Amino acid sequence: MTTAAQKRTTTRSVALDAAQRRALRNLRLQRAGVYALAILIAVWILLPIWLIATMAFSTQADVYAYPKQIIPVPFTTATMDFFLNYAGILDATLNSVLVALITLVLSTAIAVPAGYAISRYIFPGRNSYRLIILAVRAFPIVILAVPLAVAFLQWGMFDKVYSVALMHTALTLPTTILVVSSVFASVPVEFEEAARVFGASPARAFVRVVFPLVLPGIAASAIFTFVMSWNEVFAATLLTVRNRTLPALILYTLNKSSLQFQYAGGFFMLVPSMIFIFFIRRYLFNMWGQITK
Amino acid sequence: MAKRRFNLAPYLLILPSFIYLVLFFAWPMGRSLQLAFQKDAEILPVRAEIADDAAVVGYLPMQIEVAITDRERSEETLPNGRTRPVYWFKIAGESEDGEQVEGWVNQKYLQVQSRTESTSARVVSGEGTKEWTLDWIKRMVNDHNFMDALTTTLLLLILILPLQFALAITMALVLQARLKGSTIFLYIYAIPLGVSDLAAGLVWVNIFTQHGFLNTFLQKLGLIDSPYIFLSADNKHWMIIAIVLAEVWRATSIVMVIVVSGLQSIPDEYLEAGQLFGASLWQRLRHIILPLLRPSLQVALILRTILAFQVFAVVVALTGGRVITVLAYETYRWYDPGDTGFNNPNVAAAYAGFIMLISLAFSVIYLRTVRTQEEAASS
Amino acid sequence: MAEIRVENAIKRFGKVTAVDDVSLTVNDQEFVVLLGPSGCGKTTLLRAIAGLGMVDSGRIMIGTRDVTYLPPKDRGISMVFQSYAIFPHMKVYDNVAFGLQMKRAPKAEIEERVQQASKLLHIEEYLDRYPGQLSGGQRQRVAVARAIAVRSEVLLMDEPLSNLDALLRLEMRAELKRLLAEISATTIYVTHDQIEALSMGDRIAVMRNGKLLQFDSPMKVYDVPADRFVGGFIGSPPMNFLEGQVQRQNGSARVVVNDHVLTPTPEMAPVLAGYDGKPIVVGIRAENMEALAEPAPDALRVKVLVVEPLGSQNLLTIQIGHNVIKVSTHPDFHVAPNQDIWIRFPIDKIRWIDRETGKTLIPDLEKLVTP
Repeated sequence: MTTAAQKRTTTRSVALDAAQRRALRNLRLQRAGVYALAILIAVWILLPIWLIATMAFSTQADVYAYPKQIIPVPFTTATMDFFLNYAGILDATLNSVLVALITLVLSTAIAVPAGYAISRYIFPGRNSYRLIILAVRAFPIVILAVPLAVAFLQWGMFDKVYSVALMHTALTLPTTILVVSSVFASVPVEFEEAARVFGASPARAFVRVVFPLVLPGIAASAIFTFVMSWNEVFAATLLTVRNRTLPALILYTLNKSSLQFQYAGGFFMLVPSMIFIFFIRRYLFNMWGQITK
Repeated sequence: MAKRRFNLAPYLLILPSFIYLVLFFAWPMGRSLQLAFQKDAEILPVRAEIADDAAVVGYLPMQIEVAITDRERSEETLPNGRTRPVYWFKIAGESEDGEQVEGWVNQKYLQVQSRTESTSARVVSGEGTKEWTLDWIKRMVNDHNFMDALTTTLLLLILILPLQFALAITMALVLQARLKGSTIFLYIYAIPLGVSDLAAGLVWVNIFTQHGFLNTFLQKLGLIDSPYIFLSADNKHWMIIAIVLAEVWRATSIVMVIVVSGLQSIPDEYLEAGQLFGASLWQRLRHIILPLLRPSLQVALILRTILAFQVFAVVVALTGGRVITVLAYETYRWYDPGDTGFNNPNVAAAYAGFIMLISLAFSVIYLRTVRTQEEAASS
Repeated sequence: MAEIRVENAIKRFGKVTAVDDVSLTVNDQEFVVLLGPSGCGKTTLLRAIAGLGMVDSGRIMIGTRDVTYLPPKDRGISMVFQSYAIFPHMKVYDNVAFGLQMKRAPKAEIEERVQQASKLLHIEEYLDRYPGQLSGGQRQRVAVARAIAVRSEVLLMDEPLSNLDALLRLEMRAELKRLLAEISATTIYVTHDQIEALSMGDRIAVMRNGKLLQFDSPMKVYDVPADRFVGGFIGSPPMNFLEGQVQRQNGSARVVVNDHVLTPTPEMAPVLAGYDGKPIVVGIRAENMEALAEPAPDALRVKVLVVEPLGSQNLLTIQIGHNVIKVSTHPDFHVAPNQDIWIRFPIDKIRWIDRETGKTLIPDLEKLVTP
């Protein structure tokens, strides 16, 4: 009798173990499945970048070779050299950097006070202002390059680095304001109040307490502003003729340019963006999440 | 006792941004509409008295017959000191609105048979003015590229959005599974955020071009014998596919980030509760995740839609812009003074206005969504 | 000397009056607790005293100075925030030293005071760490150390313990009390926790809807609440309220609760006489009733609904007519639900409350003396 009962319990525990093992296996399988999916998506994003990188570092012959190799052998910087030494590329790169820097400074300088105001003060008109910014943010601002180009021509501001930067600032400003305000909002008001209670004037409280805390976020937003300007092509193409930015120059010469020029140019434009996104990756949700709020 | 004063500080702080947006957003927007709806014209101001600075009683259009009811001879001093006779005529004619206008005009605006005898004259010149017109709009709509550009833009929108959202939600869920190394995955998935549309176009040219990687791959698999020319005018559908892939590749990250932000605001308990009650992944997605994500998805959808109307450089990079054309490219082409462009800012502005109009409709929906969300959050 | 005087303070937010004509005086070195449910205006009042929000009208004095419109830094105060608000980008040392650095105190003095404050709060070993590396309780200590390091005469505390877990809160409560006794500062302490208020304060100011309801010693607030709200808010379990009826018999007033007759004390009788024929609310604390297992002539028979043994006492939920009240008994008092027991009301422990105004009736002392 007792043995039968024991036997029953043992078989049940073995059965349970089997069930547990099955459950565990399913769990592991599921996890492996998610991993496979994650890697697949990563490949989908990385592979095209890898492929253009191999072209950018292949010999001219390999750029036109068929079928293609997936690894650049022999490895050479000849194609990149060819691109970088192409007439106007250096100037255009310089223009692009200048435009992006001016945009970054202007946009941040205007957005920081505005972002501070909407995150720290409650005032009549605050909501309307926020809605205006949201509306402008969603607006196809680059389209405004057409009337601006006409106006800039009249005012003698056409084809200037700073006029492209003015346009780009209009483009980036709403996003920057929203991001900066979310950065300020992430620093509790109590920090400022504590500083003031312990003897700091409002200005000193800002410098000693708020500023160090928002600095990384604002730097991230500035970098993002830089990337947006660096990448912008439509307005830059309309607003320049001789002083082209890099994307504008590449776009304008697309019909006439060789494949190696295009690949090297494409890769060259990609690199800074990839580096910058790496630095601001922790702030991405702060930035874009804000738009839904 | 000091009274609490109205606090000016926030207004001073937002003032620079406000001024900037008026100068570089509101003003060009108005100017754009002006360009699209106005053209130069001539019109004749009719004056109450015989003087160039006398009050204007009405305007007459060009090339109409007017009756001369009175005339007055006066002298005009020439630079050399001599004088010559100048006639002012009192004329009566019908303005463009059908109103009767009577008053004095200088002889130089009229064509008169005999200055002393004639009882009628023709208006031949006037002063430069701006006239409202639908000419530019008509020109845009009647251009054979317009319908092409519009339908292609919409077609791309319809093809890209579902793929993008499916992929973005998948990416977000994968990230949300908190795998080991998920920060690396997050970075990789976010890379396209920093990729310009032009660079993305070039990246995919490398794949779709005749001697590109797609052909290499297909040939290695033995599916084709010789490279297939995907990006040619005869293969418009392949061009569309290439654009769709490039756009999905480039612009899904934004949607992903918005979706992840949305997911993070969903309490884990909801999902765990679903799991506890035995819901499968699909059931959880269908009945818990997607409904809770709806606000984020709405916003992402509208933002992506508006961005889709501006699709430009990807199309130019992959197709040269001529075989497949989109609204933004037509704007560029009409504006461009170069050898491929038409150098007509007015029609370009008309296109810009058209894109604005479509976007505006979506912006309104977008703001409504944001507003209802804020209300929901605050209640 | 740092007496704090608030005179007729009014603060509105739109249509809401957060602080409604509050006046109170906190004596030098006194520990006053502002107590009330959330949204009662206690934090708004504290912030007005700190200078973080200005009152719309009224006056705030610290010592002999009118500080109503002074910025916080010129008020000679320090403060502990509910969220601690210790700066995440500064080491613990710099956090504690912050107030002194702002005053540009000499280095040696800063060093000495930081050491002293951190010793008092047992955080000496964390001075080199960043707040992010500390636990919630340790951060709380840093916040307090920062507040006492400046040695201001006024210390304001905004729910300093509310973010701690129950056990830590109990520990910190005793420690704070010891500490505050040691550093002779005039202290205003805001909390919504009535046990904290009762156990810590020299006096308690109870607020509701922006109004100051009562400002008395803890025992007085507990024992003789100014109105029905205070009685119900303070004490665990809260004060019991029973509906009664005032009747006049043989010239003296008596109160009938569910057929049970209560004869008020001689001081109260004349006051209650004015309520002849009207309903009245009888307030009594759970521990002030006597529960009997056997009938007694002056006891009321009631039915037990729930029995909660709490170790030091048994808490009974009983029904009297339509009212459900709590009675606490000795842990040895054995009773089961649905059983009948008898309750005796010690007449001097009963508080009589006007049903209309909710105010506790107090004996008219003058009348008592004159006849």
